[in-house]
Amino acid sequence: MKGLAIDYTTVLPALLPVAGLVLVLVADLVNPRLRRVPYAVAALAALGSAVATVPGLALGGGTTRETFCLTGRTAAWATAPTVDGLPQVCLWQADALGSTLQLAAAFAAFVCIALAWPRTRRRRPTDSTREPVEAVLLLAALAGTIVVAASRDVGTWLVALELATLPVIALVALSGRRAAVAGATQLLVTSLVSFALLVLGVALWFAATGSPFLTPDAALSSGGAFSAASGAPTSVVFPSVSAGVVALATVLVIAGVGFKLSLVPFHAWTPTAYAGSSVPIATFLATVSKIAALAALLVVLRAVAALGTPALVSIALLASLSMTLGNVMALRQDDVVRLLAWSTVAQAGWVVLPLVSISALGVGASATYLLTYVVATLVAFAVVAVTLRDRPGEGRSIAAYEGLWQRSPWRAGALALALTSLAGLPPGIIGLVGKITALRPVVAEGWVWLAVVAAVNAVIGVAVYLRWLRAVITAPDGVAGAAGTEGATPAPVAVARRRPVMVAGLVLASAVLVVVSVQPDLLLRLLG
Amino acid sequence: MSWIVRMIVVLPALAALVGLVTRRQRGLAAAVAVSVSAYVAVLGLIQWVAPSRTADIESIGSLPLGDLSVPLHLLSDRVSGLVAFVVALVVLGIQVFTAWYLRDDPRYGQFAATVSLFAAGMLLLVQAGDLVLMLVGWEVMGWCSWLLIGHDSERAAARRAAYKAFIVTRVADIAMVVGIVALSVRARSTDLMAVLTATGDGTLLTIGLVGVVIGVAGKSGLVPFHDWLPDAMEGPTPASALIHAATMVAAGTYVIARLFSLYAGHDGARTLLAVLTAVTMVYAALLALVQTDLKRMLAYSTLSQIAIMLSALAAAPAELGPGAGIAHLVGHAFFKALLFLGAGWLSVLAGATAVAALRGRLRPTGALRWSMGIGLAALAGVPPLIGFFTKDTVIDAALEGATGGGGFRAWLVVVALFVTVVLTAAYCTRAWLLLDSPVAATGELPDVEPAVVAEEDVAVVTSTDSADDAEVERVHAHGHAPITLPAALVVSVLAALTVVGTLFLVSLRGGVHVGLLSALLSVLLVAGAAYAVWSLSDRGRLDVADRVPGRVREPAVRGFGVDTAYVGIGRAVTAVARLVVTLDRDVVDAYPRATAVVARAAGRAGERSHRAVPSLSLLSLLVGVVVVAVLGVAAWR
Repeated sequence: MKGLAIDYTTVLPALLPVAGLVLVLVADLVNPRLRRVPYAVAALAALGSAVATVPGLALGGGTTRETFCLTGRTAAWATAPTVDGLPQVCLWQADALGSTLQLAAAFAAFVCIALAWPRTRRRRPTDSTREPVEAVLLLAALAGTIVVAASRDVGTWLVALELATLPVIALVALSGRRAAVAGATQLLVTSLVSFALLVLGVALWFAATGSPFLTPDAALSSGGAFSAASGAPTSVVFPSVSAGVVALATVLVIAGVGFKLSLVPFHAWTPTAYAGSSVPIATFLATVSKIAALAALLVVLRAVAALGTPALVSIALLASLSMTLGNVMALRQDDVVRLLAWSTVAQAGWVVLPLVSISALGVGASATYLLTYVVATLVAFAVVAVTLRDRPGEGRSIAAYEGLWQRSPWRAGALALALTSLAGLPPGIIGLVGKITALRPVVAEGWVWLAVVAAVNAVIGVAVYLRWLRAVITAPDGVAGAAGTEGATPAPVAVARRRPVMVAGLVLASAVLVVVSVQPDLLLRLLG
Repeated sequence: MSWIVRMIVVLPALAALVGLVTRRQRGLAAAVAVSVSAYVAVLGLIQWVAPSRTADIESIGSLPLGDLSVPLHLLSDRVSGLVAFVVALVVLGIQVFTAWYLRDDPRYGQFAATVSLFAAGMLLLVQAGDLVLMLVGWEVMGWCSWLLIGHDSERAAARRAAYKAFIVTRVADIAMVVGIVALSVRARSTDLMAVLTATGDGTLLTIGLVGVVIGVAGKSGLVPFHDWLPDAMEGPTPASALIHAATMVAAGTYVIARLFSLYAGHDGARTLLAVLTAVTMVYAALLALVQTDLKRMLAYSTLSQIAIMLSALAAAPAELGPGAGIAHLVGHAFFKALLFLGAGWLSVLAGATAVAALRGRLRPTGALRWSMGIGLAALAGVPPLIGFFTKDTVIDAALEGATGGGGFRAWLVVVALFVTVVLTAAYCTRAWLLLDSPVAATGELPDVEPAVVAEEDVAVVTSTDSADDAEVERVHAHGHAPITLPAALVVSVLAALTVVGTLFLVSLRGGVHVGLLSALLSVLLVAGAAYAVWSLSDRGRLDVADRVPGRVREPAVRGFGVDTAYVGIGRAVTAVARLVVTLDRDVVDAYPRATAVVARAAGRAGERSHRAVPSLSLLSLLVGVVVVAVLGVAAWR
């Protein structure tokens, strides 16, 4: 296409998962009995994608990496009011924030793939296509996530967001159990309505701004369609009608993305879907999907931020509802996956909390909190996955974690660090830093009641995670403890033989958590 | 020379440490305790004879406390030299005596080490040129007194007495600490010289001086803190001698003497001190008159004598200085140590300390008889013993204060002093008559036993405890080796010091200052009181205290229920504490606990409303969208 310059190294983070996807499909076509190759390819693709984001990071000295840039009048939407001298518009803009989110998504996907690594047991003919399909779906969702973080036009944005969502629904349903189907159904229904809301919001955006771009320039030109005739589009006072439409577009987008972030009241699918799916998929839902949702939301909000909107009451409402309900419900769960599901609801409230201030500060704080949450949640889920492999029947109840400290101190240590990070207590310093970062814009904007709600929820959250942690640290009483230690003696051998990749994923995630806990500065500088 | 001052403080502390380490080897422990205290006594003698007169001897360097200067200096002058020497001497005597007295005690090593530490505390207080160091010495003594009084910790009465002494003095120490803080804040320094020369805030000065008076009242056993001292007799006799003679109770006198120039210019604090001392000396002397136990009688006499020392500081005119009080401290140290060690010796011979059991036991004992006689005479103030000179120095100082414009305060002290002189002579005569009259002359032996049990039932301690008490004294006495030469020598030397000790005081400014008229008057009073007691008791055949009606005497022996009042105060404080705990638990904590309950209830309600049904989630989604949209548009600027 004329005027459209494509820099392939810039889009490499998105290209690699897609290439991996194709490769898996081809391999499956050639030899349908392959089980580990699809995962190996997917893991390599995710890893490559993570590496490819590095030049865009603030630490990698990256500035905004742009491609698919449209210049001047060669653009296809000639009807739109474009002004000479304005900076060129690029469909792909990966700045430090976007690159960091991409890196996080690729890293989280890599860990999920490690956790889903298939067992060596000879597979039955009935699930002959499961591994390639899972790998393909994971890669597709990862590609969507990476694209949405860098997309700057409504078309790419919508498609990428759906690309990040729909494969996940299939992944949930893939295990074929009743609970999985129920979860997938609920996810699908909610997702459809949300998609409708997103499309509606985007349509309103286009109507208000007359621009298909989700950029600050487009937001500033809202009303430009109305005032173009006056010939002075740069100095218009925005008509209230147009501003109202932009507002409605924004809140509809928030509502639509809120479903993916599982904000209350769009959260109802969360516990069902998490409990129904396998643990690696739940991990994927809890991490990569959340990154996709927040990345999508941040694209819109950064555009709107140019309007100088002070704050959004609706985000404050959603955040406080999510935190409260999520924590209160998590407090009552005995199933650790459900507990983590409700915990993601509460944490989603914390993630959007700083966005009440639609500003660079709020956006940065939100992304920071998301990263701390993703790393800690990855570790927690990884521990659950490993434990579930150890004791398939009972690894999902809190009671199964009693005496974990004695049985396998490393795993218990990783879990303890993850849980304290989620709770925001030392030694999980990164969680504490994240909470303080998230609260700063709230306090700066003077939202005292919201800060109070957040503080109360921080306290309830401590109770939620410590409830689990207590089981980890306390030894089971007498006989059970003795039996446990005897039973555990041959276990390490089995561990070493059967699940090295899974353990490697856990180790990798834990290592990242330890590093950012020791040096939180690293994470903060990542966002520039 | 300054190293001597430091050594005098450090050596006893080291001896305590070594004594603790070597407590299993009785011989070694005794050798360490006695030799170190002997060495310290020699050092004290040097310091007294050749005082270095410096106020800035470094101890451990100053504390970095910012605005407040805490140099932690030691101070050496003639007064500290004299008192340090006397303390070291008395401690030496007590260590020698203890080696014999606690010969069969399995915990002799700990006892000797504690006595050493106690001496270190007292000597630190004496040498301190800094309020903080003074307080440290003060507290070390308080803690050691708990250890010493509770030495026989297998007995409930001893434990109770130890706790009582500790708690009562601690309560008073609150005021002491407040007072010291106030004085330090006023001077912006804890250095004694700075505190004495500071000018400024009158309120802080009042708080400081009154606080110190209250603290001193606690340790020195002034009314209303006096009741711990008679109970402290539960400790072994050497411990009693140590606490009563030259250290703990006398420490208050020394502290106030150090601060005398401040007190001289502050009428309010001195009036308080005068009232407390006047009441205490008369009241304690009255109680001493009716006691049925020799050691308790001596304890009440200590209360009375300490009040006399302090009254000198309360009434003496400013230009006379604190010499009279220090002089009586020194004199009292000699004759009270003599009396207590003599009483210990006697109790070993008789197997008890109850007066009834001791009747006539003194007569066949030779040197002990002489020593006790000298001690009681000195206590009564018979010339030319030291007690006469120091007491009359106090009376003279008080008279000078009264005639020199001291007003009500000084006159009150003078009157109380003369009354006390009479009472002291009376109880000393009574004690002498009881101890010295041959038993055959009285012929009242059969009713001794019931008297012991009934009358020993003091201080709310149950009678079984008292029986215990008698039991232990008997254990100490039973099969006890006859007194060794060194221990007997100690008693004799103390008796000799009581006779010639006045020479010690010549060097002290205002130390001996006897007015002719007042001396004559007090001698007459002493003689009259002695004669009255002698005739009332039918030349020693009767106990003069038996003439007191039983319904007065019984409560008097028990200290008029002051102990019950202490217990009542303790109960009240505990009740208030319980109330606070209850309020904290049931009222303040109710809110946090309620939040937990609310959180759980909310969770239950939430669980009920979250069934895995798509329609419900759709409904909530739609409601959410409407609410968010309305809010978003309405709140958009």
